[in-house]
Amino acid sequence: MNIGFSLLFVILAILVVIAWRRKEDPSPILQRLIEQFANLVPRMLCALVAAGFIAELIPKDTIAGLLGQEAGLLAIPVAVATGLIVPAGPVIAFAIAAVFAKSGASTAALVTFVTSWSVFAAHRILIYELPLLGASFLRLRAASVLVVPVAAGCLSYLIGLLVPYGAATPLP
Amino acid sequence: MTASSFLRDADWRNKVLRDAFGRGFWGFFCFAVAMGAVCYAVKGEAVFRAALGSDLALVLQMLPRVVVALSIAALIWVMLPRERITALVGQEAGIAGLVIATLAGTVTPGGPSSAYALLAVLAASGADRGAMVAYITAWATLGMQRILVWDVPFMGAEFAILRILVSLPLPIIAGLIAQRLPLQLTIPAQSPNGGGRR
Repeated sequence: MNIGFSLLFVILAILVVIAWRRKEDPSPILQRLIEQFANLVPRMLCALVAAGFIAELIPKDTIAGLLGQEAGLLAIPVAVATGLIVPAGPVIAFAIAAVFAKSGASTAALVTFVTSWSVFAAHRILIYELPLLGASFLRLRAASVLVVPVAAGCLSYLIGLLVPYGAATPLP
Repeated sequence: MTASSFLRDADWRNKVLRDAFGRGFWGFFCFAVAMGAVCYAVKGEAVFRAALGSDLALVLQMLPRVVVALSIAALIWVMLPRERITALVGQEAGIAGLVIATLAGTVTPGGPSSAYALLAVLAASGADRGAMVAYITAWATLGMQRILVWDVPFMGAEFAILRILVSLPLPIIAGLIAQRLPLQLTIPAQSPNGGGRR
């Protein structure tokens, strides 16, 4: 059992204790859990298997060259652009991130990729942002968050120069 | 009303099954099979078998993590009413408002449907544009659910912690930029609940 799993367990234990004390009705919690599980897990499993095959197929050297340690800060604009063009939910985005990690992408590039995808995910803009908030909000937000993935990547790069912390440990 | 009465609701069961094994699932499934076929054709049987083996091992390792992470998300979803979050944002101005918006975005449970619905409520109640940008940026980059369900299981706890650290100031910076940009903001007039009239 590694840190990540233990951390999740501790958080779960704390929340269960809080729910117990507040005498929460377990029924809506269980219902939400089953709904979310059904929604995510079958697709997640397929995406993971597909990502494993893709990891064998893509030229790892190319990715390591573009997003790897040797690319240095140049990896950051490449990672921003890659994050921009993933028009899909977390299932696909994180499967791609795990493939990048296995192919030797640097931590800064991975942080940049995940952040860029989080703030710009195109499907979310089309399905939620434009209908609910309109084009003027999208314009304002896009202009405001343009620096966010770049700043996240540069900060991770600087931290990486100081301490060797934060390396991604994608499962085998 | 017993704790599991929803389990006997046939409509609910069908909806869950549709969500799990509907068209989206088969799309992913076919994609995985296609990738496997390409891998077999290009790299040969040995690589295909090795990849499939490590994929299945990965799936087995992921499942318990995902179940725990989704349980956390479900507990937060039920115990943290989303109306309370809306009420928090927009009461403070300036940096304090941006910090509160960032915190609210971080703890907002659920996917984009709940976060954007909340953002629409904020917009309709005339919240500060900086707070709105900070809120949705915080939900996207720092959202607890995303970190627990995706970052930690897929990329490891160290990576997740580093990503949280570097992302902490960013929603506030985005909010400050939004407050200073000379862009027109016109929110479409509609009821955030999708009611249409009023």
